Amino acid sequence: MILNIICIVLIGFGLLFFLGGAVGILRFPDFYTRMHAAGKGDTMSVFLILVGLAVYQLSDFNVANLLVAGKIFFITIFIMWASPTSTHALIKAGLEEGQKMWTRKDGKEDPQA
Amino acid sequence: MKALAFIAVILTGWLLMSAVSDFPDWGDPASPANSYRLSQHYITETFPETSVPNMVTAVLADYRGYDTMFETVVIFTAGIAIIGILRRYGPKDESVLKQQATIYKKDDDLIISTTCRLVIPIIQLFALYVVAHGHHSPGGGFQGGVIFGASFILLALSRDLQTAQKWVPENRILKLAGTGIFIYAGFGFLCLALGSNFLDYQILHKIMPATPIEARSHAMLGVEIGVAFTVTAVMFSIYSNLASNGRMKEGL
Repeated sequence: MILNIICIVLIGFGLLFFLGGAVGILRFPDFYTRMHAAGKGDTMSVFLILVGLAVYQLSDFNVANLLVAGKIFFITIFIMWASPTSTHALIKAGLEEGQKMWTRKDGKEDPQA
Repeated sequence: MKALAFIAVILTGWLLMSAVSDFPDWGDPASPANSYRLSQHYITETFPETSVPNMVTAVLADYRGYDTMFETVVIFTAGIAIIGILRRYGPKDESVLKQQATIYKKDDDLIISTTCRLVIPIIQLFALYVVAHGHHSPGGGFQGGVIFGASFILLALSRDLQTAQKWVPENRILKLAGTGIFIYAGFGFLCLALGSNFLDYQILHKIMPATPIEARSHAMLGVEIGVAFTVTAVMFSIYSNLASNGRMKEGL
């Protein structure tokens, strides 16, 4: 029961982050900010959803389910490695290729920066 | 124009959705695919006949092993054809080189190369697992070979082509691809030599410490390893030819 609640909360937060990432991809103005939203949101949301699934597997505790939870845990680790790296590679490629960065409409520097 | 595209999308979507409604239900025992005599035979008799729990692998590598052997040959032929069409020797084309130098600036990015160094061994281990576990879970030679080839492609992407070619130089690629088919056909001829039909693995129990039924399972593993050799080699060969403009030197 408690495990179920934990799992629902984790997956719910994961979906929330996914929504944030999707909205960010659609609404942000340029390539870099979009990649930022996609990279951050996807990594965190997939992490939360997979941990939620691992917890759900463990709610009926036996060796086979423990094995499945372990495999999910490994997938989580690989996504934590691979997703930020691929975002980094994409942004670097964009920078080298000369993608324009977004600035304010009047072209002035941001006074806060 | 946009309205036309919209109508086309709606029509195609409607067609696809109406076709979906004609499908039998998921896992319906009365559907044609499940009620046909042959499927019944595979479902009930695969494990008693071959001691392989994964029906798909048993059908692929044993019941229609002859077909799969020539599927492997098709992949080998595709690799040879790619080499034949793209591979170039002789003097370098300066304009192409200049173009490549501007596109692919050679720089080792610390983050990317470190992550790849961490991930590539695990990918290769997983590929071996997929090959070896193919008759107990989804997987097999084709899938494992593709994963193994992808690990070399990742190495070439994260460093450069030369680094990857230290492990799989061109002559080794060709040898590996040939060896794969040789292993597969070798199992077939071994069965012939022992006095049975081509690729009828059961007879192999004479030279294996296994019962006739288990011999089928072990021989399937051997055949899958052969497939994995060919697929790995051809995957990397296709990539390196495409990425380096057939020169196998410069490029990504």
